[in-house]
Amino acid sequence: MPDRVDPPLEVTNVIKDYPGNVRALDRVSFRIAPGERVCLLGPNGAGKTTLIRLLTGALSPSHGQVRLFGLEAENKAFLEARRRVGIVPQLSGMYRDFTVSDYLHLVKDLYGKGDIPEMVEAFGLGPSLRRPLAELSGGTQRRMTLAAALLGSPEVLLLDEPTVGLDPVSMRDVHTFLRRIMAGRTVLLCTHNLAEAEALCENVIILRQGRVLMHERISALRQRVPALLSLRAVQGPERLRAALAELGSPGRQEEDTVLVPAPEPTTQAPELLRRLLAAGVDVYECRLITPSLEQLFLEIVGAPHGRA
Amino acid sequence: MAAREVRILFRKELRQLLRNRGALLTAVFLPILMILLMPMAQILSMSGGRLHELHLPEGLQLPPGLADLRHEPRAILWFILTPLVATGCLMCPAVTASYTFISERETRTLELLVALPVRVGHILTAKLLAILALAVPLCLALLSVDAALVLSRGLGSPGYVLTLGVMLLTALACSTSTALLVSLLARDFRSANNLNGLILGPIILGSFALMTVIPGPTLAAGVLAALYAVAAVITTIMALRVVTFERLLL
Repeated sequence: MPDRVDPPLEVTNVIKDYPGNVRALDRVSFRIAPGERVCLLGPNGAGKTTLIRLLTGALSPSHGQVRLFGLEAENKAFLEARRRVGIVPQLSGMYRDFTVSDYLHLVKDLYGKGDIPEMVEAFGLGPSLRRPLAELSGGTQRRMTLAAALLGSPEVLLLDEPTVGLDPVSMRDVHTFLRRIMAGRTVLLCTHNLAEAEALCENVIILRQGRVLMHERISALRQRVPALLSLRAVQGPERLRAALAELGSPGRQEEDTVLVPAPEPTTQAPELLRRLLAAGVDVYECRLITPSLEQLFLEIVGAPHGRA
Repeated sequence: MAAREVRILFRKELRQLLRNRGALLTAVFLPILMILLMPMAQILSMSGGRLHELHLPEGLQLPPGLADLRHEPRAILWFILTPLVATGCLMCPAVTASYTFISERETRTLELLVALPVRVGHILTAKLLAILALAVPLCLALLSVDAALVLSRGLGSPGYVLTLGVMLLTALACSTSTALLVSLLARDFRSANNLNGLILGPIILGSFALMTVIPGPTLAAGVLAALYAVAAVITTIMALRVVTFERLLL
């Protein structure tokens, strides 16, 4: 019988209360399989950073279990599991009296392994090696934290808003590095940036007010909100809407266009167009609109009690 | 034996502390003043030939800690030296801790450390050890100058000097545990200074007050040593059990 393989990240029924009766996480459960790339989405105060800190063992859950490779933080071997995880912290401060070289050597010592010249080369840190961390530009600081997170060749990456506060050019650079380093690794990416989440991950966990609203594939999430056909007709939107209602496909008017839900657009669109033309409505524009992750996110998080 | 992580972080903390001139100067200034310069001025003014009995008014009631003044002019030195040494040792780690803990918290560099494969306890232990690595040799070196002068000029017994050494170590332990508690509670330099004043102020004033009620310099230093040790244990338990390390990250 094969040995049971512990998932890299596992959170079971976790509650985290802060002083002052503030409940940051409320019965949160999920597990992330090896090689899975998951983005953790949620509005401010949803509990994302608390979750990352629980996973690193910096905080202890008030109730429930948090495991890295099957080990809880109280376990003596937990640090062994921690050395298999690289972390990019959220917008951390930077030392004025510690150079890039000092910091990378500290990281190497703590992980017990790592090729500093290779990381310096990979992340273009050569010119900054002798400079204090606080004197680096925002983009270079982020590249330095990425290099530090990867120095110990971790199997798991926890990325806590790795591009927050960066200008578009630095953000693009960091995305390029992220695409490269995430390949083949288990990743939990904590972000507000929905385009980033969609570009870098295949699965999503949505948190709101400390609760997991959903954990599923982004492609499956898309199917929850159907695609729309955006139509325009020579006769105007009112006439178009009336014709659609007669054909049993009621639409929603937005300015001079009418939006019609189309779960199966490849079969629905040609048929609808044929019938509209036959009814004397001269449709001159028909576009398929697939909902963005942002729309899906707002749909789920914006709902009064969320949708699980 | 400290964990491997503590040893690595300790080297980092010590290197940063020694690079920080402001922290070093502030940490060194108070002990030099309290443990070396002020006692030395008193010791030099009491060299053998210049010892005179104090002419106290007849019928004046002196508390037990000062009763020796009637027949022993050296008692004034003991009454001043003991709490001055204690004050210097209580202040030194507290000031250094403000730099190592609070500046890390204020500048959010703690996030960088928490992202590494270490426990929060390792980070705190390394910082406290770095503070002690600076404070213990410094305060012991300063006290050894006092001790040499006191013994060579016949101003105190070896037993008294030895008890002062023990008191110095327990005062440093008390101050370091207080520094841990303050660093967990304070969010910035200002609140750290306020909390240090709130905790250390009564301890220092209490030390001077105790000196007036305990007869004999050796016994007084011994009682203070014991009280600082108890305070160190209580403060450490409060920091670990009541406040907890999590407070550092909130």
